[in-house]
Amino acid sequence: MFRYYLKLGLLSIRRNPILSTLMVAAIATGIGACMTIVNIDYVMSGNPIPHRSDVLYHVQVDSWDPHEAAEEPDLPPVQVTYRDGTALLAAKKARRQVLSYRSSRVIQPEEAGQLPFEVSSRSTSADFFSMFDIPFLFGSGWDVDSDESLEYVVVINKEINERLFAGVNSVGRSIVMNGDHYRITGVLDMWDPTPKFYDVNNQSFGDAEEAYFPFSVSIANELSSDGNTNCWKPVDEGGFDAFLYSECIWMQFWVELHGADEKQDYMDFLNAYVETQKALGRFPRPMNNRLSNVMEWMDSQDVVADDVQVLLGLAVLFLVVCLLNTIGLLLAKIMRRSGDIALRRALGASRRAVFSQYIVEAGIIGFGGGVLGIAMTWLGLQGIKGLYGDFDFVTKLVTMDWLMIFAAIGLALISALGAAVYPTWRACGIQPASQLNTL
Amino acid sequence: MDIGPIWRALLRNKSSFLLIALQIAATMALMVNAIAIIQERSRLMARPSGIDEENIFYIDSSSFDKDLEYQAMVAEDLDLIRAFPGIVNAMLTNSFPLRDGGWSQALQTEPGEGIDGTGTAIYFADEHGIETFGVDLIAGRNFATTEIVWADPEGAPDWPESAIVTRAMAAEMYPDITPEQAVGKVAYIEQDQPVTIIGIVDRMQAPWKSWAGVERSMLVPMKRGQSFARYVIRAKPGYRDEVMPQLERLLAERDTGRIIDSPGTITEARRMAYLEDSAMIKLLVFIVSLLTAITSLGIVGLASFSVAKRTKQIGTRRALGATRPSILRHFQLENFLISSIGVVSGAILAVALNMWMVQTFDLTPIAWYIIPVSMLVLWMVGQLAVYGPARRASLVSPAIATRSV
Amino acid sequence: MLSMQNVSMVYRTETVETHALRDFSLEVGEGEFVSVTGPSGSGKTTFLNIAGLLEEFSSGTYKLDGKDTSSLGDTERSRLRNEKIGFIFQSFNLIPELDIFDNVDVPLRYRGFNAAERKERIERVIDMVGLGSRMKHLPSQLSGGQQQRVAIARALAGEPRFLLADEPTGNLDSEMAESVMQLLEEINAKGTTIIMVTHEPKLAGRAKRNIFVRDGRLSSVEPQLQVAVGG
Repeated sequence: MFRYYLKLGLLSIRRNPILSTLMVAAIATGIGACMTIVNIDYVMSGNPIPHRSDVLYHVQVDSWDPHEAAEEPDLPPVQVTYRDGTALLAAKKARRQVLSYRSSRVIQPEEAGQLPFEVSSRSTSADFFSMFDIPFLFGSGWDVDSDESLEYVVVINKEINERLFAGVNSVGRSIVMNGDHYRITGVLDMWDPTPKFYDVNNQSFGDAEEAYFPFSVSIANELSSDGNTNCWKPVDEGGFDAFLYSECIWMQFWVELHGADEKQDYMDFLNAYVETQKALGRFPRPMNNRLSNVMEWMDSQDVVADDVQVLLGLAVLFLVVCLLNTIGLLLAKIMRRSGDIALRRALGASRRAVFSQYIVEAGIIGFGGGVLGIAMTWLGLQGIKGLYGDFDFVTKLVTMDWLMIFAAIGLALISALGAAVYPTWRACGIQPASQLNTL
Repeated sequence: MDIGPIWRALLRNKSSFLLIALQIAATMALMVNAIAIIQERSRLMARPSGIDEENIFYIDSSSFDKDLEYQAMVAEDLDLIRAFPGIVNAMLTNSFPLRDGGWSQALQTEPGEGIDGTGTAIYFADEHGIETFGVDLIAGRNFATTEIVWADPEGAPDWPESAIVTRAMAAEMYPDITPEQAVGKVAYIEQDQPVTIIGIVDRMQAPWKSWAGVERSMLVPMKRGQSFARYVIRAKPGYRDEVMPQLERLLAERDTGRIIDSPGTITEARRMAYLEDSAMIKLLVFIVSLLTAITSLGIVGLASFSVAKRTKQIGTRRALGATRPSILRHFQLENFLISSIGVVSGAILAVALNMWMVQTFDLTPIAWYIIPVSMLVLWMVGQLAVYGPARRASLVSPAIATRSV
Repeated sequence: MLSMQNVSMVYRTETVETHALRDFSLEVGEGEFVSVTGPSGSGKTTFLNIAGLLEEFSSGTYKLDGKDTSSLGDTERSRLRNEKIGFIFQSFNLIPELDIFDNVDVPLRYRGFNAAERKERIERVIDMVGLGSRMKHLPSQLSGGQQQRVAIARALAGEPRFLLADEPTGNLDSEMAESVMQLLEEINAKGTTIIMVTHEPKLAGRAKRNIFVRDGRLSSVEPQLQVAVGG
């Protein structure tokens, strides 16, 4: 019977080509608008490191101003001070821990004719690469000892390796940055988490940094942060050392913990640490420490832009209008064919049969709308790229994966079938005899 | 005309008309809220930064030479730039309006800990600052050359004793006196370092366009830096695009121990600062137009059906003496009634949606007049959409009435 | 009253010309009850459409109440229909979504009467056809005979000089048909001119004069039954 209904559906669609096109177009436009925004929202709220997001925790300790919370409502600061970051790092109470900050450096190529250029860089402790499971093309990161012994080592990304060494294995060679020689220990393969979860407060959709070196070396060279620095208390005089000793927050601290017990133990450790600091006259606020895993952290930091959420709401409303449109057109179409339906009923079609016939027809239209909707979504994403193209990260947001493609077709089918329910129900209500005399 | 029977007929054919009305209502809710957002964004975008946007550009220099004589480099750079033809003035600073990155600090009217301060953006400036930014000094005086100090490049600076603030900053700190009277007042930075307000500028925005205190800024007579220098340069009208690359080359060639970033204009900074807003406006305009088109197609579709379905009835009416214009009016009136239900419920829906958005996303509430304007627009859209089918209805021959099929 | 002189009606398609009426001439006087019979496709309906100003004709003259209709525009024809002619259709043509009261109201609205006058007329004619208690019912809630009575009431509400009936009993069983015929005779007795198209010789015989149409012309051959009834 399904094939018979399919045939009837196609016939009926061919009989009213303009109307059918209109319905398919309405569904496709609605799906296109909705899926464009859903897609962006999906990428923005995506899990950047799915296999480890449950064991990576962002650490917050409340070292802020007694008179005012760092973030409303009563939340601890989003970054840590140098004092606290280095103390927590040195305690080594988690399986792994990473303290890092964003900065920039100038690479001075040694070959004649190549001009110096600036690179974005991250000054970090050694666990960064293993903890965030970063793929290497050549070599590896450095070990914890290098952090402590202030070794001038560096990890560069694939592009920099292409630029300086034409893509060959450069491990062991050295580069000059800001006048100092650094030995290359590794070259990263493509790695670009979206969103950039490990530092969402400094461009959450920006590119991953191009060069990485021990933060202890950067501190020794008095290299300050490129990212946000916030202070609640005046910094004492005394140059960079005073700044390091201040209550300014500018570094990100992450730990790796497996299971609730480890998390609880680490929380206890944090609380004990804060107690010791309180004894020193720091941490004037009530105890308020946080451990957030990757997705909790993304959520709490509102990584998805407000505009996207407003647009999502409007896009859903848009889809609703398109569906109301489709319901109206389907209803009109079915009511117009009431003679045909009454005749079929008179010839022995059950209500069920009439229902199936029209649901199949709606399904065909929905499928058409879904397929066309994918094209519309693609167009919509290109439009978004055109509008926001000056933000480099936008290209990351306008890619579609298979899940989104299936979601588009699924949403179109559900929408079309949903839209068909009421008109089809009305069709089933047509009495076999009612229409015959006016035929 | 004859509203009564049309209305009663509508009530008996509820579902298809209700669908149109619902569609109009949802369209209206979306339209009103989109317009509200567009209005708000346009208002934000229209705020002047206070500086001479068309003629200012900036050049960043990052030195990697470890033996850099920073103060000397800056002085020589600035002398070169200021002497360059087509330049009005230039200076070393940390940021500029629309840059979305800068320094902020709180000023308090009394010294001491735990006293509420007023946040302000800090721009490092010298005696050339007023002219370089092209801001209006409305009271007090400019910095004197002797007041400019070089700050400790690391940590917090030892703040200078004088400052120039914007009118909005003065009004926020001293709500009871005029900005002119604020000249000479002593405020406190870093809780207890005194700063005397020596001048007031009319308007100069902070670098962060979304900050609530965006109109509050302060110029301090200070130069600060170690390896990084940002020069803000004001060209004579019409010279900007010509001198910008020339100065870039001049600075890069003068000293090879540094990188000169490609210079940028404030015009470009404004475009980037409001890119999201202008993109949002374009998106919303597109969505609303598309939606209105879809809704009117829906009206055309359903009205066509309703005409086709009622051909016999229309013929009968014609046979009973209805003129063509009265058939046309019948369908237009019918559409007017449906649209009315749509726009009235749309108004309610729009307000509800707006209340939710105001609460969730901190949007400003809609201006009341958007609602009647949108109602009027949708009424007109409905009348235009139904005109085609209604005209076709009016052309139905009265002889249809005697056909028995 | 009604005067047609050499009226012709030609339908043209790309390849065929169909003469629905050829040189049709007819005079109907005040107060007559004329029946029009003829086989299917003979031109009965075309005659009725032209007589009722529903259709324009190709050539000839048609005067209604002394007024030449051939030069009239659509608005003027609509007004004439509205004021002078009442229609009764085979399939009633009631508007399904309007109740009985509003259905009868339709021509009066176009006539431009005020609300009080319309109400008075509607109630009077509905009472006359015996449906005073069904005023708020929808057509679908009435039997075929009752629906046709409503249609008659609608035709009469504007007090037309002419009543054009197209197979008024065609969709009714014989009992209902008889009551409708009686109603028409009563109306005629009060002075309204009636032209009734029918294919049933028995009904045609109840008219005061009978016209037979064949191939778009008035036929000289009188049908036998008419002779029998007339005799």
